[in-house]
Amino acid sequence: MTNHWVDLKNADAFLIMGSNAAEHHPISFKWVLQAKEKGAVVIHVDPKFSRTSARSSFHVPLRSGTDIAFLGGMIKYIIEKEKYFKDYVVEYTNAAFLVNKDFDFKDGLFSGYDPQTRKYDAKTWSFEMDEAGLPKKDKSLQDPRCVFQLLKKHYERYNLDNVSAITGVSQEDLLKVYESYSATGVPIKAGTVMYALGWTQHTVGVQNIRAACMVQLLLGNMGIAGGGVNALRGEPNVQGSTDHALLYANIPGYLGAPIDEWQTLADYNKANTPATKDPKSANWWQNKPKYLASLLKGWYGEKATADNDLCYGLVPKCAKGVDYSYMFLFDRMYQGKIRGGFIFGLNPMNTLANTHKARAAMDKLDWVVVSELHHSETTDNWRRPGVNPKNMKTEYFLLPSAHRIEKEGTVTNSSRLVLWHHKAIEPAGQAKTFGFMLVGLMNAIRDKYIKNGGTLPEAITWQDWPKTYVAEDWTKRLNGIFTKDTKVGDKEYKKGQLVPTFGALAADGSTTSLCWVYTGCFTEEDGNKTKRRDPKQTPMQEKIGLNPNWAWCWPVNRRIIYNRASVDPTGKPWNPDKAVIAWEDGKWVGDVPDGPWPPMASENGKYPFIMQTHGFGALFGPGRLDGPFPEHYEPVETPVTSHPFSPQLSSPAYKFVSSEMDKLTKPGDPAYPIVLTTYNLTEHWCGGGETRNVPNLLETEPQLYVEMSPELANEKGIKNGDPVIVENVRGKVEAIAMVTVRIRPFKVQGKTVHLVGMPFAFGWSTPKCGDSTNRLTPSVADPNTTIFELKACLVNVKKAGKLTEIA
Amino acid sequence: MEVNRREFLKVSGSGVIGLSLLQLGVDVRPVRAYAKALKIEGTKEIVSVCPFCSVSCHIIAHVRGGKLISTEGDPDYPINQGALCAKGASMLSMTRNENRLKKPMYRAPGSAKWEEKTWEWTFEQIASRVKKVRDKDLIQKDASGRTVNRLESLFFIGTSHADNEECAAAHQMVRGLGIVHVDHQART
Amino acid sequence: MPKAFLIDTSRCTACRGCQIACKEWNELPANATKQRGSHQNPPDLNPHNFKLVRFNEHLEGATVRWNFFPDQCRHCLEPPCYHEGAKLVDDAIIHDQETGAVVYTDKTKKISADGFEIIRDSCPYDIPRRNPKTGQIVKCTMCYERVVRGMLPACVKACPTGTMNFGDREKMLDLAQQRLAAVRKEYPKALLADADDVNVIYLLIDEPQNYHKHSVAQKDQDIDRKLFLARLGRPLRRGVEALLNL
Repeated sequence: MTNHWVDLKNADAFLIMGSNAAEHHPISFKWVLQAKEKGAVVIHVDPKFSRTSARSSFHVPLRSGTDIAFLGGMIKYIIEKEKYFKDYVVEYTNAAFLVNKDFDFKDGLFSGYDPQTRKYDAKTWSFEMDEAGLPKKDKSLQDPRCVFQLLKKHYERYNLDNVSAITGVSQEDLLKVYESYSATGVPIKAGTVMYALGWTQHTVGVQNIRAACMVQLLLGNMGIAGGGVNALRGEPNVQGSTDHALLYANIPGYLGAPIDEWQTLADYNKANTPATKDPKSANWWQNKPKYLASLLKGWYGEKATADNDLCYGLVPKCAKGVDYSYMFLFDRMYQGKIRGGFIFGLNPMNTLANTHKARAAMDKLDWVVVSELHHSETTDNWRRPGVNPKNMKTEYFLLPSAHRIEKEGTVTNSSRLVLWHHKAIEPAGQAKTFGFMLVGLMNAIRDKYIKNGGTLPEAITWQDWPKTYVAEDWTKRLNGIFTKDTKVGDKEYKKGQLVPTFGALAADGSTTSLCWVYTGCFTEEDGNKTKRRDPKQTPMQEKIGLNPNWAWCWPVNRRIIYNRASVDPTGKPWNPDKAVIAWEDGKWVGDVPDGPWPPMASENGKYPFIMQTHGFGALFGPGRLDGPFPEHYEPVETPVTSHPFSPQLSSPAYKFVSSEMDKLTKPGDPAYPIVLTTYNLTEHWCGGGETRNVPNLLETEPQLYVEMSPELANEKGIKNGDPVIVENVRGKVEAIAMVTVRIRPFKVQGKTVHLVGMPFAFGWSTPKCGDSTNRLTPSVADPNTTIFELKACLVNVKKAGKLTEIA
Repeated sequence: MEVNRREFLKVSGSGVIGLSLLQLGVDVRPVRAYAKALKIEGTKEIVSVCPFCSVSCHIIAHVRGGKLISTEGDPDYPINQGALCAKGASMLSMTRNENRLKKPMYRAPGSAKWEEKTWEWTFEQIASRVKKVRDKDLIQKDASGRTVNRLESLFFIGTSHADNEECAAAHQMVRGLGIVHVDHQART
Repeated sequence: MPKAFLIDTSRCTACRGCQIACKEWNELPANATKQRGSHQNPPDLNPHNFKLVRFNEHLEGATVRWNFFPDQCRHCLEPPCYHEGAKLVDDAIIHDQETGAVVYTDKTKKISADGFEIIRDSCPYDIPRRNPKTGQIVKCTMCYERVVRGMLPACVKACPTGTMNFGDREKMLDLAQQRLAAVRKEYPKALLADADDVNVIYLLIDEPQNYHKHSVAQKDQDIDRKLFLARLGRPLRRGVEALLNL
């Protein structure tokens, strides 16, 4: 989230899209409803009418996978009706930048596409530079090569006829949303976007979110109270686990993981540190070398020296262009290329796409270590229905884990708030914390390397690794310490003392930090700030519910990021009633500003979008792999064979794997004409491995169901509560029919398209509750993130006799 | 002393309400019998955080003698202000539930059952398997002779259920081993 | 001063925090349930669920209406069950004037199965349930032991959205009127269910029958009042239904 939960109360309009906030983040509605009662419009755009829709001002059903068409129509509307916040767009976004003359878009493809590799060469997706090395701009926004004009041209095709025909949304509903939401394109109104996995789990997932960012930039909704693009992070600490990069392509703090081309620290820094010649651009990532050096020093301690490149050479280098994420991991596992591994607190046998293949892939492992609270589809994959344990060769080690309430440490909520949780009771039985397991396991491995040597032992033995796991010691490691006596401003810090803020991290090995954005969470001056429970705030802060003294928020306790965009270039809030920051008497008041510099118009001022190299919000976004502007492409499995925007039916760059178990249905296949979308529900958690074991929760939602319209049910001779089978080329899933008016048939290009929806929380390890819905979903993914397209695929539905998975 | 219901009402109707009802010092048997004790009285209150969605609602755990007695929302946390959804509200039975795993276990190839093991045995077994694979499979140089020090044949996936401190430890461990197949719920 | 709940269904998201909080506080065991084509589960109040969020949906033109009804004992001002109970076993059912709570004690175990039927039939809202194992008659207790200590009932404490409100009856009535005026702008059908007769007042934004069969005692307020008084001690629920079916 760019903003935070309490800040939702400041919004004048909500676009809840790709999210079912009331069901998946129920407490968010405490704040949404407060805004609604003050007159805010709450718009829910989603394939089905949910508990969120029930409490929204109105619900607009949208065919799953057509969000960009919908939002493209909104961009066109905002530009044509001049609803955009002009000063903001000119001053704070790259609307005025002139784009490379060779940049082009034709027949659904951007310039630089290679159909052989299905990849773009993005060299034409760049800006024209002047002699001084700064981007050329036309602040009148009239130059046909400026971003604004290219944007206008790009979305010309997204008229109401086209958008309505493909999304299945009536023109009346489209206009209702466009009008009410774009009314926030004025200085004193705020609109917020709340999204979740309903946007990310598509082959165009990243571009869905890009489209929302563009809407928000056009309307001047970034950086302000009640605004922002708010990713409602799903998992308990998924914000934190992303910050610490339990991901192949990153190392902690949003630094890229080293690849083979970057052999030395200097190579890495050269390739990864952006530069600008514009003195007004903060270009924050110019500090990257400091963060990497502090990370390496944190990992390798005394052994990391200038002479050995801070042990950079020991860190694994990924092969350039190779994807090591789930989809490819399980494909390689299926091919027998993986020997063993660790699955901690995760239930991939239920949550990955195409789980039939994932389950078969796991059988090929020699051994696997699984850590869990309960038996799950993953821990017990060797005895799943339909297999004989005798034939299952894989060794399983099952480590019982402690529950949240049984341990202490920090988690980071969706709005980057780092929160300490105390230990209330001892873990059940011999269950242990993940920390105990990780530190203990690594020590067992280290001992063997120390005693017996082996391949590249120093990568392990040189690490600064503790004997036992103590949570708060690691909080300090995250924050970082000085490795020698250092002066910061007027203050002297001794070797071993905590670094006060990431501004003090250095590239020379004199500081450590296992995640630079966390530096400042635990200081010599204030102790462990994640434990703070102080409700104190200034009247200005209280007005927008900033709560700056409750716990600690990364970065540097800034509660609303990009907040320099909430003021005009002289530092005056666009909306004085809901000011986030203000420049008063030569200093900033309110939130922690995005950098200490004075307002943009002053001599030493900076542009607001400090993480962008040029300092401007990116209406034109050259950094993605599938284009600088979002473009509508159909899901890989789609009920249509054409769409009105281009001849390019599906994303030209989506990722996929191929095996005999990775079958796909061709577009418009009459055998599988129904769109399946998947989701979850308030009472269960993701794959359900945890909540199905809580009897009170299982009582409320006991078994797998499929929601369908009365019209479809009627066509299929299905009654509410009937047993049914949902099937496609990849599998069959048993479910109970929930026939509901909350799902409406769509009119798409003049034809009726039916959609059904199923939760994915149920699995065989809970007796007779049903089994993985993901046996139906395809292994195709977004090119940028490799997130599966779990939200749209094709199926058919039929009435069943007796069920075996549900009873 | 026995007080019948009518008399009780007379007593309690004299402007005495709330806690004072219990301080009447008389045996108002039926009601007192019903409301005889508040199970969380005298418990220690410890603040935890709900383990589900990223609102991170604060939860107060009421503990007596090392035993969890009850859980409720923390009214002071500015975001949930004491409120909880179905999942958050179920923390007590979630922690207590009978299905929890309580011992390290091992399932041998071809076996149809789990065997209980000690932590020491488990760590030792896993460590020797990791070392065996890593010593054999670690790619120190790629085909072009570049130093890559990566181990492709092992993986580590999980978990957003871990604390920040545990995530940091996991990442450090994984990169130290050379593992590159790393993923977790941020992707799905 | 008696206490009252205001249950503002215009704010309810059916998160079921209240339903679960009730089970957890009272440590009620879970029922084995099945999916029957509805999110409402368990299907009805039962000895292990004193609180149940009911789900009811329909189309109003092209607009979907999905109504949520966190059902529970209304803690009537003149509780028919209390009067019936008094005839059967002393102190089995208590009506506490201080809080307005109608509390079933474990003496209800002494009431026979037939006696229970009389009590259940007397309830205009079909609330009481009997645990077949223990014979005890059970329902919402108003979290009496919490309330007398100045704490909120567990369900109210858990509610995120301001659906569940609890406090002095007069304050709740004021709040109810305020909220009714506010929601009527958007929902002209909005009403307060049986506000004069119960301490658990529902603000409904749709027709009562679009929530639950027993969301209100009956339609006509005059008959309602008379029936309440006239029928005390007689099988009220069936009487009301018979009357409405005429």
